[in-house]
Amino acid sequence: MGMDPAIGMIEVEGVAAGIVGADAACKSADVQLMGWESIGGYTTVFFSGSISDVAAALKNGEEAAKGIVEHVVAAPLNQPEPACRSFVTFPVRTDAEFRAGALGLVETRGYGVHIHTNDQMVKTAAVEVINVLTVHDRVVCSLVLGDVGAVKEAIAIARGELATYEHLMGTALIPQPRPEILAAYGMPMGGGGV
Amino acid sequence: MSKAAIGILETRGMASLMAATDAMLKSAEVQICGRHGIGSGWLTVAIEGQVAAVQTAISIGEAQANRSGELISSRVVPRPEAMAVDAMPHGGGLGTGQVGQRAIGLLETQGLTPLIVGADAMVKSANVVLGGWAFIGGALCHAPVFGDVAAVQTAVEAGRKAAERVGTVYATLVLPQPISGLGALLPAEPVAEARAIGAMGLLETVGYATVISGADAMIKAADIQVERLNIGSGGRITALATGHLDDVQVAVAAGVASVEVPDHLDASAVVSRPDPELVACFAGVVEGARQGGSRRAMGLLETRSTVALVSAVDQMLKSANVEYEGSYKVGYYLTATIIRGDVGAVRVAIDAGRQEAVKHGELVSACVIPQLYGGVEGCLPHV
Repeated sequence: MGMDPAIGMIEVEGVAAGIVGADAACKSADVQLMGWESIGGYTTVFFSGSISDVAAALKNGEEAAKGIVEHVVAAPLNQPEPACRSFVTFPVRTDAEFRAGALGLVETRGYGVHIHTNDQMVKTAAVEVINVLTVHDRVVCSLVLGDVGAVKEAIAIARGELATYEHLMGTALIPQPRPEILAAYGMPMGGGGV
Repeated sequence: MSKAAIGILETRGMASLMAATDAMLKSAEVQICGRHGIGSGWLTVAIEGQVAAVQTAISIGEAQANRSGELISSRVVPRPEAMAVDAMPHGGGLGTGQVGQRAIGLLETQGLTPLIVGADAMVKSANVVLGGWAFIGGALCHAPVFGDVAAVQTAVEAGRKAAERVGTVYATLVLPQPISGLGALLPAEPVAEARAIGAMGLLETVGYATVISGADAMIKAADIQVERLNIGSGGRITALATGHLDDVQVAVAAGVASVEVPDHLDASAVVSRPDPELVACFAGVVEGARQGGSRRAMGLLETRSTVALVSAVDQMLKSANVEYEGSYKVGYYLTATIIRGDVGAVRVAIDAGRQEAVKHGELVSACVIPQLYGGVEGCLPHV
């Protein structure tokens, strides 16, 4: 009898910490990223693998996410019922193609400032804005792609632009994101907002 | 050709956004080029035009937004980089509403119950036309009315008073001479047919589990029809029922009494002889409701954490002979799941689910409905 692999879940406030956690999880053990789910301002990463791989990935993913936000909840499902898989609302896309590069994340509550910040990042550093995720409870996260140096510069610009903006949640840099991270978070979510 | 400049203005609430946008469009040669909402009532409008025009418009918009509500942020972006702007979703958010040569009145409330009660008062108190309604997250919702200035003023005042009796009014607005570009911010016009009914009953709760057991209690108590169970935002969700006045009164009272946790009841109201337009606007066209349904017991578990919910689902399915039916999110961090089986099995499963959920996060509701009434089965929105 074939057994379904175990599932690991990491829930965080916002989406940037989820991306960082997912990347760390996938790099630390032999697990497959399944996708993610969003409720309110929390998002949850789902990945699958053997029980021991999921345990190792959870530990590293949780730690990495905690470096970004406070609210992090992680748990494994060692012998998951098939229904548990249906909670992945945003699966890893198979139609996504991105060039290799570093990934920069700029996360705020509020949408308007991203138009300006993204414009400034693109004008002053060699980065492209690949996606703007708007999850619930006002969380907006811009994803930029480029060489490590360019993304670093772009994030510095964004931090400068948002220095006096009271709803900045955080920024993050992933020098070498796994391709499945981009395939899960780099594509438009669909829907026209609230 | 890309425009010389983009201006953006973000506010909390539609009244404030509409007042600011009206002022911006009147003040300079600019057009609306996008609109986006991100929940909790935060709305962004983007305008385009020459740099100086956009600068003028934004500074006027800021002042107006602060006067009529809450300004979150505003920026002017000269010579916007197309690549940066195209990745953003606001371009697809524009409505196609028509303003015409009429005044606009807007009633904006916290929760749907005061909005429906207020909208009924608006159309009954003056010669105005209801122009649909919309949620903007955080349980904030609004309904515009159109007519001549005096009628709109009378209607909005009557609507505010009526809405305040059953809930919270967030803002009201009267624009005597709105600029035509404002149509892009208006909700879609109601498409359902107007019909006359005896009464409309409303039960607004926090969470999906509470609204289903509430609707079940309503329909068991009196001869009413549950019209819809799928309108919610900001964690609240409303059961909308119709029938004869005395039936609806009994049903709403039974629904209110069925709510076990007092905090989970947000509002309730009975609208006697609702205006046919109101029925078209709020009770009309339900898409995506489940048809039919099983005659087995239903178990509902609702949390404020995906990890808690999925772990609970896993435990429920393992602990008893129950089936997973679906899940539903009503906003404000709430997420619910529905299982089916024999009453005994569902009870065991919900108990197991409750114990698992609290290990990971906040449990909001866990309940068992031994036999859901047929009239509720037909309008469940979960998938």
